[in-house]
Amino acid sequence: MATSQSPVEDIIREKCNKGEPRLNNSRRPVHQITAALQPSTLEIFNDSHLHAHHKAMEGSTSRETHFRLIITSDAFKSKMQPARHRLVYGLLKDEMAKEGGIHALQLRTMTPEEEEKRKQAENSA
Amino acid sequence: MSTIKDITTLEDWAQHLASLPPTTLLIISFHAPWAAPCAQMATVLSTLASEYPVTEPPSTSWVAIDAEELSDVSENYNVTAVPFLVLVRDGKVLETVSGSSAVKVRDAIETHAKGTSASAGPTVNGTNGIAASVEAKEVNTAPEDPVKKKEELFKRLGDLVKAAPVMLFMKGTPSEPKCGFSRQLVAILRENAVKYGFFNILADDEVRQGLKEYADWPTYPQLWVDGELMGGLDIVKEELASDPDFLKSYSVKADVAATS
Repeated sequence: MATSQSPVEDIIREKCNKGEPRLNNSRRPVHQITAALQPSTLEIFNDSHLHAHHKAMEGSTSRETHFRLIITSDAFKSKMQPARHRLVYGLLKDEMAKEGGIHALQLRTMTPEEEEKRKQAENSA
Repeated sequence: MSTIKDITTLEDWAQHLASLPPTTLLIISFHAPWAAPCAQMATVLSTLASEYPVTEPPSTSWVAIDAEELSDVSENYNVTAVPFLVLVRDGKVLETVSGSSAVKVRDAIETHAKGTSASAGPTVNGTNGIAASVEAKEVNTAPEDPVKKKEELFKRLGDLVKAAPVMLFMKGTPSEPKCGFSRQLVAILRENAVKYGFFNILADDEVRQGLKEYADWPTYPQLWVDGELMGGLDIVKEELASDPDFLKSYSVKADVAATS
């Protein structure tokens, strides 16, 4: 469960906090997204070591392949889960697309209300 | 005018295999009654079959097998999804075609059917030579139209995601998952007795890469419900946690309730 600091983790943190102004690709209208999630909660877990011996990781020396993110943000309000995940995937598109980059992302995306409900459920359990 | 024979029992299957001369091209179509593209494929195949005359010894033999009913046979041929075509001659698998591309199926059958009709000697070389140059021409025209190719792929994907009410695009197969997340999702579907179709994206790189773009989703496994992307493992887990009846209408039990 250690949150180890690492270059990729820093990138994730920065992009989730500040977002990234970028032009959209040709399939959608071109406009700048300043997708700052401005999360109230952002937890990053590097689970790469759990998967290092898996077949898919053969030949890879990177220890920054599998991440688990817990994010609470108002930006997720009125968005269904797939849309929320797409938001995060979008922010980390480059890291996921490049060779030896992020291979897997586990996401828990919540609105502040959902996070509160979850905490209460956990406390009463 | 050949026709397609339905094989429903393992005994029939064994008997049929044993009866085939080594020169016959055996065309096996694996299908599932609940998968819509299979009905289309059945039509494509019966049309194709009708173009091949019945000869003695038979040049072609066409059979249809329910992939779930005769799962032993499916496993034998590594059937990863339906519809699935396997071409066999003299006990050897020549080629398989996964998916509902009528063009691919026709090409595969026509290519291998030539092997039976050609006789030994110069005729064989002649036929192969012509076939080779025809194929070369076709290969040259395809890359000239990448837009069309992509359109066709996306159309194919559009059909594929609707192949069953619940479709799982995973790494490996439910009996042999090749990734922890895929394995977990299969387990969840099983625990909830969900009836689903699956597609092994490791077996088809075109679908693997194409679906990422089509779905605007970079990872697998992907669960599609009624032609819409539901999400991956995380989302399915969360949905179930907040609503245990989330997949109830797709469960095997729902089926039973509907028919009784």
